[in-house]
Amino acid sequence: MQELILLMVGAVLVNNMILARFLGLCSFMGVTTRIDTAVGMGMATTFVITVSAAGNWVIEYALLIPYHLEYLRTVTFILVVAAAVQFTEMSVRKISPPLFKMLGIYLPLITTNCAVLGASLLNVEGKYGFLTSFLFAFASAFGWSLVMVIFAGLRERIALNNVPVLMAGPPIGFVTAGLLALAFMGFSGISTN
Amino acid sequence: MNDTADTYVDASGRKVVEGIARVVALEGRTAWLEPEQTSACGGCKSAGVCGATGSTASRLLARRFPLDNTAGLTVGERIVVGTYEGTLLQASLIAYALPLLIMIGAAVTAQALTGSDGASAAGAIGGLAVGVGLARLGAGRLTARGELTPRFLRRAFNEGPGQDCHLD
Repeated sequence: MQELILLMVGAVLVNNMILARFLGLCSFMGVTTRIDTAVGMGMATTFVITVSAAGNWVIEYALLIPYHLEYLRTVTFILVVAAAVQFTEMSVRKISPPLFKMLGIYLPLITTNCAVLGASLLNVEGKYGFLTSFLFAFASAFGWSLVMVIFAGLRERIALNNVPVLMAGPPIGFVTAGLLALAFMGFSGISTN
Repeated sequence: MNDTADTYVDASGRKVVEGIARVVALEGRTAWLEPEQTSACGGCKSAGVCGATGSTASRLLARRFPLDNTAGLTVGERIVVGTYEGTLLQASLIAYALPLLIMIGAAVTAQALTGSDGASAAGAIGGLAVGVGLARLGAGRLTARGELTPRFLRRAFNEGPGQDCHLD
């Protein structure tokens, strides 16, 4: 149990998807101009990453490994990710059409988000069991969303200040992202003893 | 009393987030609106016709929403609509967090009871089904309160700065 908790805390803070593994950077820069869009995107991505990681684990251990089809892993995982996004889109639309109109904008972006595929591939690399894979993917996605929201908060603050024209927009965004990554590097010094 | 470029506090003290929509059809007293694309490519002048996310036309069609045409809107007009700031968070919690947490709870419980990966996977699927059902109930309550429907705020200028998208 302690190992599982450490794995999850590590996935959120130490081996963060964005700041340590550099996955999902497109959305990181693109959807973080406002906190509420970052929250919407973060929650949708967390849901898709967790669901597709569960689906990919089942495919990996029920189909790919028994039939020695490991060479098809990437293609299969991409298919599962696309299916998970479609499932999410359909279920949100079924749950409530107004809710879909509000949240549907983020879903197409997730299909091409490398963080979703990355979480499943990391699970395979770690040779985790179902529950560990599932919780690791959830923690990774939560860490991704956490950084998105923190970064969106910082960018909202920056927007209220007088940034020199040369640094306005993406340049100051990249500088801020670098400082945030440095701050998160501090977590790699956490002692597990 | 502007907080950021696209958020303000209304008379009841609640923060309202603004977005741009275009009137695409009129049916009696109802105006049908299409929201302009505000995604990763937001902030550019071509946001309304951006095709970066695939079949944009069908997506915009799917996201059309009705509005009471009390302001005498005409087809082609761009207007500023608003929703309360907490609504998106509330909607996200119901649509994503609730099913996900129930799914995780069911998977952990199944694993603790049986110690088998198969049972844990089955528990996750069952939990997801229950979670989606509960999300549907929660969304129904929000819809009934009218929390998910954007409101008309004002007309948008076609070429004015800051009126193309409201992300920057």
